[in-house]
Amino acid sequence: MSYLEYSVKTIPSGLKKVLYVNWALVILLSAVCGVGFLMLYSVAGGSMQPWAEPQVERFALGLVVMFGIAFTPIWFWRNMAGVAYLGSLGLLLLVELIGTVGMGAQRWIDIGFMRLQPSEVMKISLVMLLAAYYDWLPPKKVSRPFWVLVPVVLILVPTALVLKQPDLGTAILLLLGGGVVMFVAGVSIWYFVVVAGMGAGLVTLVMMSRGKPWQLLKDYQFKRIDIFLDPGSDPLGAGYHITQAKIALGSGGWTGRGYLQGTQSRLNFLPEKHTDFIFTTLGEEFGFLGAFSLLVLYVLVVAFCVSAAMQTKDRFSQLLILGVAATFFFYFAVNMAMVMGLAPVVGVPLPLVSYGGSAMLVLLAAFGLVQSAHIHKPRGR
Amino acid sequence: MTRTPLRPLARILQARAKGENPDVIERENIRQRHEQMRDRQRHLAEGRLLVLGAFFFVAFIAVGLRMGMISASDPTEPRASGSADSQILNQRADIVDRDGNILATNMATYSLYAQPQQMINPVAVAKDLKKIFPDLDLARMERQFTGKRTFVWIRKTLSPEQMQEVHDIGDPGLLFGPREMRLYPNGHLASHILGGVRFGREGVDSAELVGVGGIEKVYDNWLRDPANGGKPLVLSLDLTAEATVREVLKAGMDMLHAKGAAAVLMNVHTGEIVSMVSLPDFDPNERPTPKPTKDPGDSPLFNRAVQGVYELGSTFKLFVLAQALQMGLVTPDTVIDTKPFRLGGFLIHDFHNYGSQMTVTKILVESSNIGAARMAQMIGPEKQEAFLRTLGLLNTTGVQLVEAEGAKPILPPKWTDVASSTIAYGHGLAVSPLHLATAYASILNGGMRIYPTLIKTDHPKVGPRVVSEKVSATARAILRQVVTQGTASMGNVKGYDIAGKTGTADKPDPQGGYYKNKVVSSFASVFPARDPKYVLVVTLDEPSDGTGKDAKRTAGWTAVPVAAEIVRRVAPLLGMRPQVETASLNGVKLAQN
Repeated sequence: MSYLEYSVKTIPSGLKKVLYVNWALVILLSAVCGVGFLMLYSVAGGSMQPWAEPQVERFALGLVVMFGIAFTPIWFWRNMAGVAYLGSLGLLLLVELIGTVGMGAQRWIDIGFMRLQPSEVMKISLVMLLAAYYDWLPPKKVSRPFWVLVPVVLILVPTALVLKQPDLGTAILLLLGGGVVMFVAGVSIWYFVVVAGMGAGLVTLVMMSRGKPWQLLKDYQFKRIDIFLDPGSDPLGAGYHITQAKIALGSGGWTGRGYLQGTQSRLNFLPEKHTDFIFTTLGEEFGFLGAFSLLVLYVLVVAFCVSAAMQTKDRFSQLLILGVAATFFFYFAVNMAMVMGLAPVVGVPLPLVSYGGSAMLVLLAAFGLVQSAHIHKPRGR
Repeated sequence: MTRTPLRPLARILQARAKGENPDVIERENIRQRHEQMRDRQRHLAEGRLLVLGAFFFVAFIAVGLRMGMISASDPTEPRASGSADSQILNQRADIVDRDGNILATNMATYSLYAQPQQMINPVAVAKDLKKIFPDLDLARMERQFTGKRTFVWIRKTLSPEQMQEVHDIGDPGLLFGPREMRLYPNGHLASHILGGVRFGREGVDSAELVGVGGIEKVYDNWLRDPANGGKPLVLSLDLTAEATVREVLKAGMDMLHAKGAAAVLMNVHTGEIVSMVSLPDFDPNERPTPKPTKDPGDSPLFNRAVQGVYELGSTFKLFVLAQALQMGLVTPDTVIDTKPFRLGGFLIHDFHNYGSQMTVTKILVESSNIGAARMAQMIGPEKQEAFLRTLGLLNTTGVQLVEAEGAKPILPPKWTDVASSTIAYGHGLAVSPLHLATAYASILNGGMRIYPTLIKTDHPKVGPRVVSEKVSATARAILRQVVTQGTASMGNVKGYDIAGKTGTADKPDPQGGYYKNKVVSSFASVFPARDPKYVLVVTLDEPSDGTGKDAKRTAGWTAVPVAAEIVRRVAPLLGMRPQVETASLNGVKLAQN
């Protein structure tokens, strides 16, 4: 590739940008949200209220936000990364002070027309900042201890704040999302190996201490860990969600009971049926085929993002897109694994499907960033 | 990394010599280096990306596979097992009758408690609760709900309807705790035998059941022992017989204006109690709290058949008869002097004047006190006491009811000649109807001592022998005559030959002496007379048949017809065939074709 070839590439401007929107991704996201509307309509017993209608309104708002972000040049967003991160951090601190207590956890700030969940905003801000950081950092410094420590601190500060709320699910997503950006940015694999090894060692040590004289945790703490890891051992207590969810999925069979015919969720066997456990309603009413179709939709969204990341040569864009894709992936993977009893219940919503304003808006805004990176990519005439 | 020096002088000179601009070459070099670096970087990033993609793919496969597995699984409801709280639940074993019919079982129910700090509108909640449970104290609830308390018990058990109504109040401060309650589906039936339970240790999620009376208390540990693996406790009772006996006894008690009644129906060979009824009774589902009354015998909790010790009058005459026969002192036809006589300043006389001499059979049939006292004199006090002791009349019955432990017979202070003579016709020794049934069964079943039990058993405790088979048969024959010719003539039930003895005892007045018109009338019997299967004791407390001119209180008019009706109805239920008296075949011609 010669210098001349490189320079003839241009970046779309003005109304032309509309042509370069990744429309396939927009359609996929709309389809996922559509599944959400259907399910929220169903769990309300065949009614737009109280969940489906607000969700549609927020989706409309989210689309506007998404396109607004998408048509703004990506370099603007790169420059805004630090501001976004500091702003989110400020909101997280603010929620500590004035946040509304909901479901035993302090997570929201009431901003009039909706409740804002700063931890959701932080997921994207963190990815933005890390992408900008590695875009700025000369590649040869990436694996030097000090320059590894900086992003680690950037990740751990908001994680700790979120964990304190307490919101284990979001904290895990923050860690995983930040970790993926660092991994793709090329931080030496040994850091990851060492951290993973230390984590595994610590867990092994703690679990081995059980029943020994030097036991590190109290008995009841071990019992909680047991139930956390295997909710099936306490089917009517901590494992209640899981057991009922499994019943719902199992009774759905291959093709499901039919739309609006689910009983587990409609008869209120399932708590949180419109938020974290909405997937079970899908599984019950549309069976394996319906649930698997949603999974395929999600995977396509991630695949389109990864492919967009491969196409762009801009480091910030690449890392940002991957960070968003990874966050999105962990969202639905953790939620589905949790609902199906593969992972402990940590309270992660099903992205774009579960009822919830902050998550929907923030995710659509994040995909706006992805679109922006896609649109403002240099390309041949 | 090998570095190429930026401006090696040799190269610049070389380039100049060729007439090229070294600056351009240098820029090109720098550009190439940058591209190389970026490509390396991208290469690394793409490698990492592939790793990530592979991870995503594996996770995707795992989730998809799991989805398929669950879809293919059969949905099963979870069952409680193993958790600490659930251990208290469902531990108390059922109690069943001898045919396996449920007498006591457990039912899942809910308790209601409040967490006033969580309440939205405590005052309104108190008002709504008052509407559902009128017996609750409104002012007290309001005080509790608006105060500083964080936890208030409201009800220990709720019916499903009540639970729904409370649920409909919809206040988050009202909470339900699951628990098991003891359910006695037959209500009043066998209430004294079953006793009842109360809640012991109570938690929000469960409560312990503790037996407070009857078999529930005696077998409390057994019923709660998980080692029995949920096996029910099988009683000797027959639920159908119990229901029939209770029905007849209740009707008889009401008709005869008695204030109480008791009946014991027991297998004569094994001591298994088939039915035991004491009236008035109660509903063990809502066991009344014992109230201090003047006479504990008036409480419905009082088991007259087991706890009530009465002087049972002439029914005791069987004991002197059997002992005198056994000792060879008399035969049924021995003639005994029955003129009234004084003994230590105490006149012994009869209800009617039966003449100056009677046979032993006649003494029983007409129920002569004098005759019985004479026989006691022949036997002597020590031997009489020893015999009554072998019959179990001087100790507690040992039946498996907590109430039986306190029911000791009331003995005479000294076993004098006078005491011996009065005990011969049933005064001076007070025992329970169950004592009487046990002693009757032991003498009349062929002479083997039996021990009353409420538990169904294949290996009953039997022995020692109290009288010979012959004496037993003779006694039965004489008691049969009491029914066919004597004081119990209303007790003749066709097909089931009853042999028994009546007894009408004046009730002792706590002020001293005896009441003139208050009696305990009883009828103790076995059937069928020739080969007895069951013993039946019926006792009525203060009966009075107001149909005639004079109120009739004697057992022949009160206890006997009730007992006869019980036998008439219960014997078929117990699978006994009526024995047809073999009429002679003379004059009967078989039809011939």
